[in-house]
Amino acid sequence: MTSSSPLTLTRRTLFGAAAACAALAAIGRGRKASAAQALLNVSYDPTRELYADINRAFAAQWASTHGGSALAVRTSNGGSGAQARSVLEGSPADVVTLGLAYDVDMLAAHGLLATNWQTRLPHNSTPFTSTIVFLTRKGNPKGIHGWADLVRDGVQVVTPNPKTSGGARWNYLAAWGWALRQPGGTEDTARAYLKSLFAHVPVLDAGARGATNSFVQRGLGDVLLAWEDEALLAARDLGPDKFDIVVPDLTILAEPPVALVDKNVDAHGTREAAQAYLEFLYTPEAQKIGAKHYFRPVDPTAAAESASIFPAVKTFDIASLGGWTAVQKKHFASSGVFDQIYSK
Amino acid sequence: MNALAPSSPDNARRSPAEIALIAAAYAIVGLMLVLPPVLVFTEALRSGLGAALASITDPDALSAIKLTLEMTVAAVAINTSFGVLAAWLLAKYRFPGRSVLVALIEIPISVSPVVAGLVWLLLFGTQGWWGEALNRVGITIAFATPGILLATLFVTFPFVTRTLLPLMEQQGRDAEEAATLLGASFWRILWGVTLPEARWALLSGGLLTTARAMGEFGAVSVVSGHIPGLTETMPLHIETLYNGYQSVAAFSMAALLAIMAMATVGMRSLFEARMRREEPRKAETAGGGA
Amino acid sequence: MSVLIENLTRHVAGGKVVLDNVSLHVPDGAFVALVGPSGAGKTTLLRAIAGLDPASSGHVEIDGRAMEGLPPRERNVGFVFQNYALFRHLTVARNISFGLDVRPRASRPSRAEIDAKVAELLALIQLPDLGDAYPQRLSGGQRQRVALARALATGPRLLLLDEPFGALDPMVRRAVRTWLRDLHDQLGLTTILVTHDQEEALDVADRLVVMQDGRIVQDADGETLDATPATPFVMEFLGETLRFPGVVSDGLFIPADTHVAPFSTNVAEGATEALIRPHEVTLLTDASGGTVKRVGRRGPLERLAVSLGERSVEIERPVEAPPSDPVVLEIAQARLFQNGKPVVEGNHPWSDAPAVLADVVPEPV
Repeated sequence: MTSSSPLTLTRRTLFGAAAACAALAAIGRGRKASAAQALLNVSYDPTRELYADINRAFAAQWASTHGGSALAVRTSNGGSGAQARSVLEGSPADVVTLGLAYDVDMLAAHGLLATNWQTRLPHNSTPFTSTIVFLTRKGNPKGIHGWADLVRDGVQVVTPNPKTSGGARWNYLAAWGWALRQPGGTEDTARAYLKSLFAHVPVLDAGARGATNSFVQRGLGDVLLAWEDEALLAARDLGPDKFDIVVPDLTILAEPPVALVDKNVDAHGTREAAQAYLEFLYTPEAQKIGAKHYFRPVDPTAAAESASIFPAVKTFDIASLGGWTAVQKKHFASSGVFDQIYSK
Repeated sequence: MNALAPSSPDNARRSPAEIALIAAAYAIVGLMLVLPPVLVFTEALRSGLGAALASITDPDALSAIKLTLEMTVAAVAINTSFGVLAAWLLAKYRFPGRSVLVALIEIPISVSPVVAGLVWLLLFGTQGWWGEALNRVGITIAFATPGILLATLFVTFPFVTRTLLPLMEQQGRDAEEAATLLGASFWRILWGVTLPEARWALLSGGLLTTARAMGEFGAVSVVSGHIPGLTETMPLHIETLYNGYQSVAAFSMAALLAIMAMATVGMRSLFEARMRREEPRKAETAGGGA
Repeated sequence: MSVLIENLTRHVAGGKVVLDNVSLHVPDGAFVALVGPSGAGKTTLLRAIAGLDPASSGHVEIDGRAMEGLPPRERNVGFVFQNYALFRHLTVARNISFGLDVRPRASRPSRAEIDAKVAELLALIQLPDLGDAYPQRLSGGQRQRVALARALATGPRLLLLDEPFGALDPMVRRAVRTWLRDLHDQLGLTTILVTHDQEEALDVADRLVVMQDGRIVQDADGETLDATPATPFVMEFLGETLRFPGVVSDGLFIPADTHVAPFSTNVAEGATEALIRPHEVTLLTDASGGTVKRVGRRGPLERLAVSLGERSVEIERPVEAPPSDPVVLEIAQARLFQNGKPVVEGNHPWSDAPAVLADVVPEPV
């Protein structure tokens, strides 16, 4: 039988393909997010400016105590839930500084860090606290003074998506807790209130910063439900003549925690540096930086010094709602309360 | 010829309908295509050229530029090689399942880039199929450069093949058969006969790949991890800057990206013009006189 | 370089048989034409010799060497395509030298030697100044010559041509094929030419291989094909043919048409068909004949339409004085076929017939 096609592929083609695959694998061995001289802090959305300053300060301090050796800290920002998921999928975080404890618990449940993480650092592993307030246009044209005003006709509310954003979950729980504590407040009335609230939301951004952008830069909505630090940043730094802060009569105490990712620091050999970094957050220097960026310091001295920056608030905390595990399961898991009330 | 108004060919004045259409065309082009880049450049230069240039030379920005360039070059090189071979295989051979393959090549264009990124995560994330195993061997794909490269490769894969395939099908096998009868090896034929015939199409496909690779956001965003200075390409870094309220820096980088994209598109138009100039000669059929 | 093909068969997808048990021997130095209608399998056979298409079964030998497992690039046969298949991005000179340029370094001649060979070939194809031109600038005839030169550059002794003149206009065709024949003789090649044009084949080849439906119907030189065609198809393919159905009985072929003279023959009795060329028919004056009219003229020949009652046929003869009707056709030179097969014994033209037929048979014109 005579030979088949005139243009037979030689072994060289296969060799070339194999070589390409080998090259790809070789690239894989190259750049990794963490070397011994760098840390990765996977953080939630509103902390860009905060950690830019803190990282600089920490690097200086590390250099001075370690004979000038350089330690760079890189920060990645995004919605808290989304960031946690990316760490779960392999983002090489040495530390996580997320919006709520549940996201860190989720990582602990998958073995990325010890389940007792919250006891390893002071104040439930939370160096800064915050709360949820409203941001309105200058002069508060729609007269929004409290949670009840959010569901009036014609009011458009901006909040991120509770499925991905930690801040959004705090917003939601603040609203829920307030509704429960109203005279005659029950689960049913709370549900009805939240359903009405989300009906007034034109768009759900993935993260707190995205929502802030929608409100501040794109001019969407009448009121933004935001982290206090975001609201203060917007009102004081970005648009002093453009926005008003409105503090509702009752709101939630937000406790965004920090944690060491045991699995990764052991793999990278960065445990010492990462631990030092987290401990640095509690030092007076870092606490002052926090206050500068409108994050409430936990250190009593720093808190006293910066009291004038922050508005007075009356708060309840997550424990009073049953703790994160119960709350996550009830509200934010598939077919939870949020899924039930939000149908778009 | 003008089908709108019964004007004679010599009539130099246009009918109102013609004028309206032309004006509408200009308006649409102006609004959709000219205005955005103009706005980008205006915003970038709002604080002066110095500020714009300074923001681009920031270490994280330079890292993003470098990563974008690396990814683009790698994607173009790899996808051009595979694209040529794929086009060649599909054009010159008939085999069972060939039409399925042709359809499959179209997938990256129709699939949402975010889905493309998620697929790589499914495969190479720690919770995915192969991520943990590869990590143990020291190979990191997701949240590192290889993952970004794979995502970029996926979304740019079809361009070279799509541009080359119809051309190669049209050319038929004659020239390659002549070459093989003259003693040329497979690679010699591919390099010396098939590709030169298709060189303009190849360049065109390559430039399309370049433009897409430079600007890809969705797929890369999912696998990148958004680590400034490490796994951010230019589009991702622009998002980071914008979210960080660094409007001027964001738009400066966007302006740079726009310049790079326009250069690519400009080169493509140049090559297309040259290709069209050569076409009349190539269009001579086999029939001819003495 | 001789070519031997034994029992070559090729199926294609769908079960169609494109070559059906074909056997052929082309001796060294021969010029053979493969002729036949489209779909006959001529190109398939040529490509099978070159190794471009595989065969399902059978055997090919070139110069006594079996070709099984030998890819086309190692067979060193020259091939010219119908559409020339020149490399458009290379100059004429680089096209011609391509076969030498792709030789592995070890066996490649020096640049100077290659250039010399190219110059020699350019002279041979009579295009000495077009070395630096690109194929687009050339006319069809010139391109074909370049294709030929390219095929010859590596010094093959077997040349295969696949309808190489199909795309040229008639004047050019005649010139180029004459020149090809001269080249074949000059270089001592063995040439196999595929064409569907029988005139071309008869003009240029020693031998014609007539193919139909994947089979070789007849393999002979032009005269033999004309005198003793193997089937009516062969006769009709090679030239204009007039068919006269009839019956043989009592040693006579009796045509079914009126106004056609019977003639004596000693083939077996039965239904028979007589096939004859228009110029082989002669006219006899006969009172009971049909009308005749001149309808055309081609050079020294004229065409006459003769009415045979229900139909009319056209014959050819050298120009003479206008014919006078009524006439009857004399077709003793016909080849006879029974059941599609030739039956060949001596046909006796009426002039040799015994006297008993004299009153049946008319006088010649």
